[in-house]
This record gives sequence, structure tokens and C-alpha cells, in this order.
Amino acid sequence: MSGSEFLAARARLFVQIDIASEVIAPLWPLSTSIAVNPLWDLRKMSFNEAIDYAGQVLGITGYPSAEMFKTSYLNQRITDIDIRASINSCTTNGNHRRSPERENPDYGKEKILTAAERGDLILGTNIATTTDREVAKWCAAYVAGIMTTQPHGRFYSAWLDVIATDPAARRLLGKNGRNRLAQSPVHPEDSILESLELLGVREDERICELSRQLARMPGWAGHAKWRSRWASHNHPGPALQLVDYLAVRLSYDAHLVDSASTGRNQLRLEKGNLDQDYSGTEDHRQMQSSPENYYMTEMPEEIRNHLSGLSSAETARIWLGAYESNYRDQILSKLAVAKPNHKPDPTVQAVFCIDPRSEVIRRHLEAKGPYETFGFAGFFGLPIHYQSWGSAEGADLCPVLIQPNAIMVEKPITGDGETALKQVQGRQGLAAISDMFTFARKGVLSSFILAEASGFVAGLIAIVKTLFPSRYERVRASANRMLVPSVTTTIDTNPKNGGMSDEAQALYAETALTTMGLTENFAPVVLLCGHGSSTENNPYASALDCGACGGNRGGASARAAATILNRVVTRKLLSDRGIIVPKSTIFLAAEHDTANDTVTLFDSNLIPPTQLDIIANLKQDLNRVRTTMAAERIPKLPGSKSRNPVAEGIFRSADWAQVQPEWGLARNAAMIIGSRRITAGINLEGRCFLHSYDSATDTDGFALETILTAPMVVAHWINAQYYFSTVDSNVYCAGDKTIHNIVGGIGVVQGVGGDLRLGLPKQSLFDKNQPFHEPMRLLTIVEAPQNLLDTVIKRNPVLRQLFDGEWVNLAARENENENWKLRKPGGSWISWIRNDRNDPTEG
Amino acid sequence: MNNIWDLTQMTKVEIVISGEDMPVIVELLSEVGATGFTALSNVSGLGHSGYHQGRLLFNDRNALTMLTVVLPGERATALINGIRPLLSDRSGVLFVSDTWVSRPEYFR
Repeated sequence: MSGSEFLAARARLFVQIDIASEVIAPLWPLSTSIAVNPLWDLRKMSFNEAIDYAGQVLGITGYPSAEMFKTSYLNQRITDIDIRASINSCTTNGNHRRSPERENPDYGKEKILTAAERGDLILGTNIATTTDREVAKWCAAYVAGIMTTQPHGRFYSAWLDVIATDPAARRLLGKNGRNRLAQSPVHPEDSILESLELLGVREDERICELSRQLARMPGWAGHAKWRSRWASHNHPGPALQLVDYLAVRLSYDAHLVDSASTGRNQLRLEKGNLDQDYSGTEDHRQMQSSPENYYMTEMPEEIRNHLSGLSSAETARIWLGAYESNYRDQILSKLAVAKPNHKPDPTVQAVFCIDPRSEVIRRHLEAKGPYETFGFAGFFGLPIHYQSWGSAEGADLCPVLIQPNAIMVEKPITGDGETALKQVQGRQGLAAISDMFTFARKGVLSSFILAEASGFVAGLIAIVKTLFPSRYERVRASANRMLVPSVTTTIDTNPKNGGMSDEAQALYAETALTTMGLTENFAPVVLLCGHGSSTENNPYASALDCGACGGNRGGASARAAATILNRVVTRKLLSDRGIIVPKSTIFLAAEHDTANDTVTLFDSNLIPPTQLDIIANLKQDLNRVRTTMAAERIPKLPGSKSRNPVAEGIFRSADWAQVQPEWGLARNAAMIIGSRRITAGINLEGRCFLHSYDSATDTDGFALETILTAPMVVAHWINAQYYFSTVDSNVYCAGDKTIHNIVGGIGVVQGVGGDLRLGLPKQSLFDKNQPFHEPMRLLTIVEAPQNLLDTVIKRNPVLRQLFDGEWVNLAARENENENWKLRKPGGSWISWIRNDRNDPTEG
Repeated sequence: MNNIWDLTQMTKVEIVISGEDMPVIVELLSEVGATGFTALSNVSGLGHSGYHQGRLLFNDRNALTMLTVVLPGERATALINGIRPLLSDRSGVLFVSDTWVSRPEYFR
């Protein structure tokens, strides 16, 4: 090939890898782990088609188990009415039109295999699993920083450097085979092309081959995808790229197959022969579950007759639709009877994140006094990179769909320089001790000395920490305060220091206030309340923090937003735009700790004397909220004693052996976009994302478009992550926390090695072995004019994909005088009929 | 044109593509040896999937980006070889045209 042909071949390969990786979910590092729809890049297909395809490549089932549906039917969580409604809906949507090949109830699609997997079937070898084992070993070594000696060395080149002396490669391939492996091309792209050639994979077969290669270990592939397609270019740490990962995988496959077979031609079997060989394997049988599993003798005959002849997947879709329809009817019924709960002249307007856990605190707070609450994405509309005082590293406080566009730095207020200096020195001292301890712990000889020297003290600490976690936490906090004195700080928004211009600050402030529908009638205090979760010894801690803040705590975002909204120049620019915030109104930041039910108020030094009484009352009420909220939340936790819910919340939060400190977002089911008037006073059981919205102030649909294309997408990701982690726990659930080992700070493996685990841990979803989470697709409920919704959906392909592809279900009404309508794929609407959901009529 | 102004002929490739496809395009540009490019995010305009407002505030990944790159002919061929299969899988458009530059060494 000429030089330009080489370049063209590499370019085509690059794109083929990208397309092949669509079936893989990106896996964020633990420190910023966020929920993601694992099939997000397949959303150009419908939900059902994507599951079919992922089933072929990854072996997922994609739907709740027959056992779960049967249990739900027996306890009336699914009724005959729901099943009939679902059959009706699926028929309308064409989800189970019977094609000739589907007359066979055992119809199932052929699983996609790699060339090496086909080779294993033909040759009786274990090449694919051997490749998995070796590649996982090298990936773990690479991300832990113990493989490469070059600062920015890539994975493939680091592997090439060491493979020539690897004893395992010699055992597998012999000395000559190992030498040939070590002589693989220098460029990873060329290596992949050579391996594909050796394996006899034609160009038109590449995407299938590469997809399945990635699907063999979706955890490591997911990490590589995150690094290649989501991480910023300057993200620190070893960069495991997709192309390098595939180059190493395919090198092993090609050389192992070559060593085991007489040549590539042996792998190019006729498809029929291979299917015959493959049909007897356990893996293949698992893909074709029998439709009888979904039948129940208790069902009415007409339902059984209808379901007969459908494949298992088609039957599961009907069951899923029934399961969702039951919840949808319950919640729409609740909302239909909602009474206006407008509070005249609230003393505090509190803005919480849309996170479902905020629904609980909002309900309890409103019940305690003259408080009005709002829901808005927890980064308060400010996409910033935030650096706390004295910290060397910052964090991106925004959803991963956007990049931060400003840097905001926390700094001590003028006049508190001496305390600030003491604080920095204290933190540096603690960090130095921690570094020294870590260094000694990892050293070959020093680890023994360390155990002898400090074992007694460390052992005592461990005993106290285990038996009395709350007390230990109090002592630790006191010691910390002594060594690191607190300092009064502020957040620097100045553009000269990386912040934003006055105009930009005003624009973000205007957008936030307009989008949440708070543009007039401001209370004396507007509380901006972020959230975070304090847990101990929890690799998945960030999954309990704020998703809208990129898996970080939300207090800093609240502080930054309050700082901007309190600036005189922002108020002036806002008034030029028609939003008049009274001089007497103060924006105050706070943070809700979802693990122990506390709310911390920040920047108390800014509170003017006129608002001191209001804040004192608010603090008292927040204490009362804590008691009632804990009484609602704690008894639902596994193993709860519930004698003193507040104390138990503190205990669980501080307990380093606790694997279920809180339920997080489990049981999330719906997102409600509209005024609090719709939901006020209704117990939504912490299952709904609540976003404030007022269509009267949004004539062009800009705010609605912003909400649907960002917060709703994030809510859908969270919902889909919980869904797939529950229904396909073998692939998309991180498994049991008690046997997790952290690898390189980026993920966990179960036991000693293997693939990185995807998704949420089992303890976030299951109560013992029963699912606590109810796997359903997100139901988005919007109060807005139908034509406005249609316009916004029409002009945004991502929304068309989500609603037309049935990834998200949509219900809407223009105002409380109208009935809810349900959007069908393609854009038509049908009226939702309360009490007779068997017969929806055209709207 | 070359004779009049002493310019060197190159190929200009313009791509309008979803923001989430930018990482692979940028990697592709690096792979074929492009020395630079210009990207405009959140562009608006009318396409086969309707009018794009170009004002998604909190979602860069689903907004459209327009990217312009100038390369010598053989590298442009390699780039187009990669982009065409991508556009058969994703939405977006590709424009290729001749262009002339004054400092060709910047583009090689």
C-alpha cells in the first residue's frame, strides 16, 4: 500500500472502531462516577431494537425477569387492566407485529462472535478467555501506573515494551510465538489491521468483530471509551485509549489463533456449520429463554391467548408496558387531585436540585412553615471548574454534557490572612502525614516496619471506628478543627482570575431564574440548596452526590450562584432585563446531606440583621425537618432498627463497614416539569425528579428546550442506569460491594482481577436478593401547551429519538383544567383516561 | 489564481456534525496529519432533520458543531475516507472544495 492508502485505511479503521464502540457504555472513574444510559449511543434505534442488538453483542436480556413480573402480578403491582392496556399500546405502536419468522416462539437472534470465539468452538480452545485474562492483567497494571516508564506512554507501546520478556506470553505461545508477538507493528492502528488480516476478518465484517471484541470485557472497554470520547485531553493519569486497547486484544487473539490452528482459512467456516456447533453451548441457550416462563395460569384466558406465539422478548415488552402503565396511572391520578398550595408571602424561597431525594426534603420543609420551594438542576446553571481554598486540584461542577466555561476559586476574605495561613499549614501537615503513611504502606520493606511501628495505634483506631463510628467521627472532626482552623472564604467570580464577565454572570443568573420560573415576588431570603452524601469507605460515594455537578457535592455550585446573584452589578443587569430583585432579598447557599439529613447553611457572615430572625426560624425548622425526614427515610433501609432514625442516619453515614448508607436514587420513576402547584402536598415517595417551570414566562419554548435537552437527559441517564443495573445485573451491575477491589482509582473488580465492573453496586438496587428498585423507563410529565412541546421536540433530534424510540414516556397537559395526554411514537397524542385505562381515546 | 497571487492549492473540508462526534473527528484529523482546524460550536441552520436553533444551553454534545480544515490533497482523501462511513452511521454533512493558501508549510 502507498502512504496515502495507509492513511486512508487507518482513517476507515478509526471510524469503524467508533461505530463498533456504540454498544459500549463509557465508564467514568470512581471519583466522578455518574449514572449513564448504557445504550445511549444506540438511541438512533428504538429502545426495543437497541436491546435486541445489545443482546446479540453483549448477551443482555434487557427486560425484567419473568420471576419479577410474576411476583408483581400476584401482588397486584400489575393487574389484568395494565396488561390489556399494554397489549393495546404495543399493538398501536407496532411493537409486536408478527412477522413470519416470529411465528416460532423460540425465535431468537444469532449471537455475534469474534473470530477467536469461533476458533474456540472449532478448535475446542479457550483463546477468547485467555485474551481476556491477559488483557485485563495489562490494563490493570497500566492504569495503576506500574507498567510504563514513559510519562505519557500509550498502552499499546507500553505493552510492546514488556511483552518480549513476559513469561506468560512464552507459556502461551512458546519462545518463537512470543517473539513474533513482540514484533507486532509499532502503530496500534497498523497492528489492528494486521491482526484482522491474520484472523481472516473482511472489511465488511470489522464492525461486528470490533463490537464483540469490546463487549468481551465491557468494563475495560468502557473505561477506554470514556478516556477516548469523554475525558478532556489534559485529564491526568494513564490514558487507555480504545485503539490501544483493541490493538493489544487483537494481537493476542491473532497470535493465539495462529498458534492453535493451521491457519486463518480454518476460521472461515460456513455460517451454518458454526450455528450447528454453537447451538449446543450454554451461552446460546441462555439467549433463548422460553416464552412459557412468562405465562401464568391465574391469567384470564384471552390474555394468555394473546400472548401465545410471541417471543420471550415480545412478551417481556408487554409485561414491562403493564408495569409502567400501573405506575403512570397511579401518579397521574395523584396529580389530578392535587390542590393548590400557594403560600402568600413566604419568608424563604428554597431552590433544591431536581434529584428525587429533594422531593422528600421539599415536602417536609413546606409543611413546617412559610416556605416556598423550587426545583432546578443542582449546578444552578453555572458550568464551572471549581477550586476550593488550599486545594491543588479542582473539579468540574456541571453535567458531563457540557464543559465548564469558567474557573471559580474559593479564597479567604480580606483580613483573615493569618487564619488562612494556619489553615493551609494544617492541611499541608495532614497531607504530608497521609502521603508518608501511604508511601510506607506501599514500600517493600517499609510496609513491615510500618505494621510493627504503628500497628498498635492503628488497631485501636480501627476498633473505635468499627464499634463507635458516630463518636469516632465527632472526635475526628474536633481534631481536624484544632489542626485546621476554619477560615471565612468567598468565591472569586472575577474574569481576571478565570471567572466570568459581568454580562455573562447576569446571563447565567437570568437563565437560571427564568428557567425555574422565579422572576418576581422574591422572598426576603432565597436559599440555593445543593446536595451531597457523607459516607465512609465507599468507592461509589460520588454516585450518591450530585449528578448535575458531575458526581461532586453541590454546595460549591450553590455558593457560586448565590455570590453572583447577590452582586449589585448582577442585580442591575437583571433589572435591565426585566427581572427586579428587591435590594432586601438575599441569596444564601446551603447543602443538604442526603446520608444524615442535615442542611448546612454557608456564608452566614453575609446575612443582614434584617434577615437574622428569618434564618433563625429556618434553622429551627430544618432541625424539625431532619427528624421527620429521617423517620420517613431510615425505616426503608435494610437492617434498620428505626428506634432513633436521626441517630441511625448519623451512624450509617459514619460507619466504614456500612454497605447501604442510603438508598440514593433507587425507585426513581418520573420527572415532573411544571409549577410546584401540581405536586405540592403530595407524597411522591422520593421517586420523582422535580423541575420548576412556568410556560407563561416561556413563550418561545427556550426554557422548556433547555430543561428537556439537559436536565431531562441527565434524569433519563440516571433512570436508565438504575433500570439496566437491575434487569441485567450480570453485565450492568457492579455486584457485591463486600468483594470489591479498587483498581488504579478508576474502577472496581470483583475478587482478584478480571474486568472492571459496570453500573451501580448490588447494594444500591437490591434488598437482599429482591430488587428494591422498580425498573421502569422514565415517565416525563410536563405542564405546557402541546404545540410548544411539539415544536421543541420537532427541532431537537435527541428528543425525537428519546420519545419516538420509547426510551422515555411523555405525558403532558396545558393547565390544571385539562386532562393529561400521552404522547405516542411519531408524535400523536391520546387522552389519558382515569379509572378506565383499558380504552384510551384519540385526543 | 496561483499564478497571480503565488498561492498553493489545498483542499478545504467542512463538516457539520453533532458535538458528541467531535472527539472522533478530532482524533481522525490527528491521524491523517492535519495541522490545525477551526470549530464553531452550537451552529444554527436548516437541514434534512429540520431547523436547528443553535442555542442548546446546557448540552454541547447534542448541539451541532461546524468544523473547517484545510489539508494537502492526499491527506484530504484519507480524511474523507474516514468521514464518509461515519456519516452513513450518524447525521451530519460534508463539503469538500478547492482552496488556496499563502503559507503551505503550515498545512503539511
